[in-house]
Amino acid sequence: MHRFATSLLAVFLVFAIVAAAPSGAVAQSKEIVIGVLYPMTGPTAQAGVDNKPVIEIGTDIANGVTDLPFPFYQKLKGMPGLKGAKIRLVFADHQGKPELGQAEAERLITQEKVHAIVGCWHSGVTATASQVAERHGIPFLNPESSSPGLHRRGLKWFFRTSPHDEHFTQAMFDFFRDFEKKRGVKIKTAGLTYDGTLFGADSGKIMKELAKKSGVDVTLDLQYKLQSTSLQSEVQRLKAANPDVWMPTSYQTDAILFVRTAKELDYNAKMVMAQDAGHISPDFVQAVGRDAEGTMSRAPFNTDLIDKRPVAKALNALYTKKHGKELYDFPARSFTGYMTLLDAINRAGSTDPEQIRQALVATNIPGDQLIMTWDGIKFDENGQNTHVKAIIIQLQGGKFYTVWPWDSATRDVIYPIPAWKDRK
Amino acid sequence: MGALAFPAVFTLPFPRHVMIMIFLYGALATAWNIIAGYCGQIALGQAVFFGIGAYTSSLLYTRVGLTPWAGMIGGVILAVLVSQVVGYPVFRLRGHYFAIATIAVGEIVQALIINWDAIGGGRGVFLPIKRPDSFLNFQFHTSKAYYYYIALGLLLLALGITRWIEGSRRGYYFRAIREDQDAAAALGVNVAREKLRALAISAGLTAMGGSFWAQYLLFIDPESVFPLSLSILICLVAVLGGVGTLWGPLLGAAVLVPLQEGTRVMLGGTGKAIDLLIYGALIIVISVAQPGGLMGLFGVSRGAGSAR
Repeated sequence: MHRFATSLLAVFLVFAIVAAAPSGAVAQSKEIVIGVLYPMTGPTAQAGVDNKPVIEIGTDIANGVTDLPFPFYQKLKGMPGLKGAKIRLVFADHQGKPELGQAEAERLITQEKVHAIVGCWHSGVTATASQVAERHGIPFLNPESSSPGLHRRGLKWFFRTSPHDEHFTQAMFDFFRDFEKKRGVKIKTAGLTYDGTLFGADSGKIMKELAKKSGVDVTLDLQYKLQSTSLQSEVQRLKAANPDVWMPTSYQTDAILFVRTAKELDYNAKMVMAQDAGHISPDFVQAVGRDAEGTMSRAPFNTDLIDKRPVAKALNALYTKKHGKELYDFPARSFTGYMTLLDAINRAGSTDPEQIRQALVATNIPGDQLIMTWDGIKFDENGQNTHVKAIIIQLQGGKFYTVWPWDSATRDVIYPIPAWKDRK
Repeated sequence: MGALAFPAVFTLPFPRHVMIMIFLYGALATAWNIIAGYCGQIALGQAVFFGIGAYTSSLLYTRVGLTPWAGMIGGVILAVLVSQVVGYPVFRLRGHYFAIATIAVGEIVQALIINWDAIGGGRGVFLPIKRPDSFLNFQFHTSKAYYYYIALGLLLLALGITRWIEGSRRGYYFRAIREDQDAAAALGVNVAREKLRALAISAGLTAMGGSFWAQYLLFIDPESVFPLSLSILICLVAVLGGVGTLWGPLLGAAVLVPLQEGTRVMLGGTGKAIDLLIYGALIIVISVAQPGGLMGLFGVSRGAGSAR
């Protein structure tokens, strides 16, 4: 046993020495170090892998290597506020696990000596990593997690640029209001169908609350079992209730089955407003894209906006060149959050955490400089961006187009959706 | 003694974090070793007890204001009760069927928690993170050393109980069941009762680990405290180190945790999953070279000590 104990101790010591050695160079005064914490491996690695190049592009812009010819980005060129300090990125992987998010945030702060952290995509990981940043007094910028609870924890160092789930659902009801103004069609009744998962139940709950506030009468409130083998009775009840809008929340397989069953039972919804997920997945579009003509959904970003927004178009060109892929929702939001942070550091003129935090609080970025269709970026006292805006997209001819807000729209809303018998 | 002095030498949080994880996984694997290594029941649902521990202490703390220490005891009691209720029917199954049933139980419990709105559902539980440092609050923001010693205490408790079982009459019952259940029954061992006892001890210790985890991370959700992957990892740690030996599970944790953390820190940021490839390859190498677990390197085989 003695031999064993000695060996065990040796393993501890060797490892501890390796772990304690800082892997980066000693931070110079002329360097801004930013920790980027994303899932790089594991089931959701795609988010991290696609976000990494866009963060690097943002860094190149600030370091003066790449050019994005719009005033907001020109201002950041060479980080004049810090007299040309260079940005160095430290990427870390959390694999989608909250405990790794915590450990990595801690390591980034105490060993890599980062001045700020960007991340983490998963709401659960953002929850633990931002907590570490709070304790150490390091600014934490979250570009994309959508759980509504995150900014309600009373944190001082947490900033979220993205809309959360309540904003997204609000967008649907804002759309109904605007649609009435524009086309004179009042949405009076809604039929809700949602599955029993967390996502479905939460979505149903928020929809009911907002419907009440907006004076929309929920005439059908139907929770169904995830991955049902038949949705006949559900569709029949929809048909009987015949609400002005059908608002489904479903994952992919159920979404496809709903459309097929509606066709079979000749249920003609006048308007369909889906909660993202299954109804906008590529497989859904491929399987029933034509039959689901006119289906609308909320979204944070849609690819057709790239041509409409010059900033997005310019960034897309850089992104495609670097990563061989078109810009989409994840990198678009990641970039927006990251540039917000760089803007704050530049205005702070310092890498002092408190000064960066104060600059973040004072953030005011006009909407026309953003990739996103938001009104701008301005944080409330909880660090939540209040100028966010979701968009509404509609499936037309087998492809999703932006139809709302009107000034971002690339197509008009199709309404009512043609009945099955009138389609070819 | 080296373990006690570690926080004094290494003041950065990260090495301490790694040690805390070694102690925690060491304790969890040691707890699993009692039911699987000594009693021979390959249970793959340990996450159930871990999650119960995490949720019980967290909910009692956030809703009732009870100190997490009392919550930890509550978690142990609840986990033991659940282990008996679940164990009773499941222990009628043997071998692979038993293992499959425990996986099923784990999945069912996770699904239940996800859909249980009153305790947070899939959103999980956010613990208050701004309570002052105190032993009673189980929160120490100024130094990780406290967590370090608590985790070490947990490990020592698990090892102590295992040591005690090894030398006791109960330990002989357990090993008899492992070697041949029917023969043990023929010799007068109450097989059903002994299995339930082994599971109860294992469940209680695992629940303590869960409570510790919740206080350490201050955020729990069904995905992070009830996953099948946790049950499998606990099993992997123990098997790699050496099942059915006192020190095996700790050795497994001492090798696996630094390996995982080290490869991730050095290579994880590349986004090419090289760290996981190396991690996986090393596990394969160890399993091939030492099928009986790393304890084999020290000339210790399964059931050593007072076992035979």
